[in-house]
Amino acid sequence: MKFYLKLVHMEVHRFRYLLGGLMVLTLLMQFGVVLLWSLSERSIRTGPGWSEKLITYHPFSETGKLTFNEMMFNNQFWFSFPVLISIAVIAGYVFLIWYRDWLGRDTFIYRLLMLPSNRGCIYAAKLTAILLFTFGLVSFQLLLLPLEMMLFNLAIPEALRDPSYLSQAILQNQVLKVLIPGQLDAFVMAYAIGILTVLAAFTVILLERSYRVIGIGFAVIYVFVCGAALLAPITLQRPGNTASYLYPGETYSIMLALTVIIVFVSVWLSIRLLNRKITV
Amino acid sequence: MKTNEGWTEVAFNGRDPVYLQVVKFFKEQLVIGKMEAGQIIPSRRELGALLKINPNTAQKAYKEMEEQQLIVTEGNSPSRITMDENVLRAIRAELIGEAVEAFVASVRKIDVPVEELLELVKHKYTEDKQLNGGKQGGGAQHD
Amino acid sequence: MIEVRDIHKKYRRRKVLDGVSFQIEKGEITCLIGTNGAGKSTIMKAIMGLTPFRKGEIIIDGQKLGKERYEKISFIPDHLTMPPAMKLDEAMVFMADFYRSWNEDRAKELMGFFQLEGKERIGNLSKGTAAKFNLLLGLALDTEYVLMDEPFSGIDMFSRALITEVFSSHLIEDRGVLITTHEIADVEHLIDQAVLLKNGSVIRNFNCELLRMEESKSIVDVMKEVYQA
Repeated sequence: MKFYLKLVHMEVHRFRYLLGGLMVLTLLMQFGVVLLWSLSERSIRTGPGWSEKLITYHPFSETGKLTFNEMMFNNQFWFSFPVLISIAVIAGYVFLIWYRDWLGRDTFIYRLLMLPSNRGCIYAAKLTAILLFTFGLVSFQLLLLPLEMMLFNLAIPEALRDPSYLSQAILQNQVLKVLIPGQLDAFVMAYAIGILTVLAAFTVILLERSYRVIGIGFAVIYVFVCGAALLAPITLQRPGNTASYLYPGETYSIMLALTVIIVFVSVWLSIRLLNRKITV
Repeated sequence: MKTNEGWTEVAFNGRDPVYLQVVKFFKEQLVIGKMEAGQIIPSRRELGALLKINPNTAQKAYKEMEEQQLIVTEGNSPSRITMDENVLRAIRAELIGEAVEAFVASVRKIDVPVEELLELVKHKYTEDKQLNGGKQGGGAQHD
Repeated sequence: MIEVRDIHKKYRRRKVLDGVSFQIEKGEITCLIGTNGAGKSTIMKAIMGLTPFRKGEIIIDGQKLGKERYEKISFIPDHLTMPPAMKLDEAMVFMADFYRSWNEDRAKELMGFFQLEGKERIGNLSKGTAAKFNLLLGLALDTEYVLMDEPFSGIDMFSRALITEVFSSHLIEDRGVLITTHEIADVEHLIDQAVLLKNGSVIRNFNCELLRMEESKSIVDVMKEVYQA
């Protein structure tokens, strides 16, 4: 446990600037979007000729006043941009967190593998680091949203706006809707799939690091088997499929069971590779 | 730093056992007077560091010197060069003997009459000594 | 004693190690000698569990060890394996955090001996300084065995002299030491045992003093016999 926590601390220490950078990027871009859009809308509505335009205008809200929801809805791309960048960085970091220790001048993997602890700790620490990175960014986004709403309220005079609820505002953005779903089961589902993907990626990396070129072949087979296993129940369930003999509830249970099996196999295989087959 | 003097320039050859070369080095130092009877010698660790050799080798060299009664260790006190005049004399004789033997072995191939050889040796030896003697005297005063 | 017993390893159909056996005795310096690609580094990595092998075993003081071996054997690879962004002080804290055998006093002593600066970043070290710090990280672990891969490679003359001094000091006294080098002249008079590798197996294995005593040959003489024949 002590080793695990120390390793997690070290991993966090190593990505702190990257995480900080992404947070700053998100903050600057989203605040910028909120401010620019709000100010320009405000000047349009307080400017001359607004009353004539109002006739052709399709109001977002029933009262025709500005809302934070409207801001979210109208700025899909620029508001999501830093979030998408963050997702891309995390996806890259899943690989970088391992390969960084092999490639490059220092080959830190020598030292990591020579630590007098279970190698499972290294695996767990890297997984934890990815999760901390992800949830760090998600919670930062959750922290930013009320602040952005405050900024919106400051930029638009009260007479021109209607209040919005944060939970509604999140649903306006196609990316945030997936990342921060309102229902617990949707949230669990989204992140379970995410973690499963990370675990599979770790296994792929360790297969490649253990067997090199041949390992890539093993990795392709592994991903194919996992994917096929997960998709099989869905294919069977397809409405047009006359061979389907499963109820939706059964399909769900089978998928859940398969997910659990894939998680166990991935973790077991990864740690076994680290213990027996890995090479520096 | 003064203790390092004379130690650092020891050049070992690769073909004789290092520990025997160390023993030989001690004997030479003793004969030319750089070491004295009764002098305390470095510990095996110090000797290893001074001569840049493995402490095991230093240990082996000391063991050999003890067997040859060149050094003595009494109880817990550090090892010293022996005070035994007989041993010291024997070492001198041994070194001279070895040198002469090597010289004779190589000069014998040329087949020089012994009288001529002795004359040559006498001449060369005194000439060298006069040349080097001046320098050595200067060095001693400088100390 | 570390016993390397009949280690076999293949890499892409090439036999890298083809039944290597030898022993590393405590209190002795053993030197692995071989041309480039003879498998010297691979043997060290195999001892440290950093690379798998197909057949054979590594026995350390009579036991097959797992993670316990890392408190018993310290491995100094041919390059420094700490993240370049770390400061020397941070790297030493890292070592102290993870190893029971880390000896803080010895680390400090070595920092002084090698004249290293704790505030320096690892990425900024010159080649010679990095080699010294690499040596420090390995030697400050109070392990019974030390493995050093090419401790002299790419190092200037003065650093080389300093590193040679380490071999005749208390820093390795009583430990079992395994080194590899392709410049035998640096260590010729320091090593106790030489293990000569050729084509993935041990071709000669001898005690250096015995060789000089019984055959009046130098290590280099034997190397010439083995590698130029």
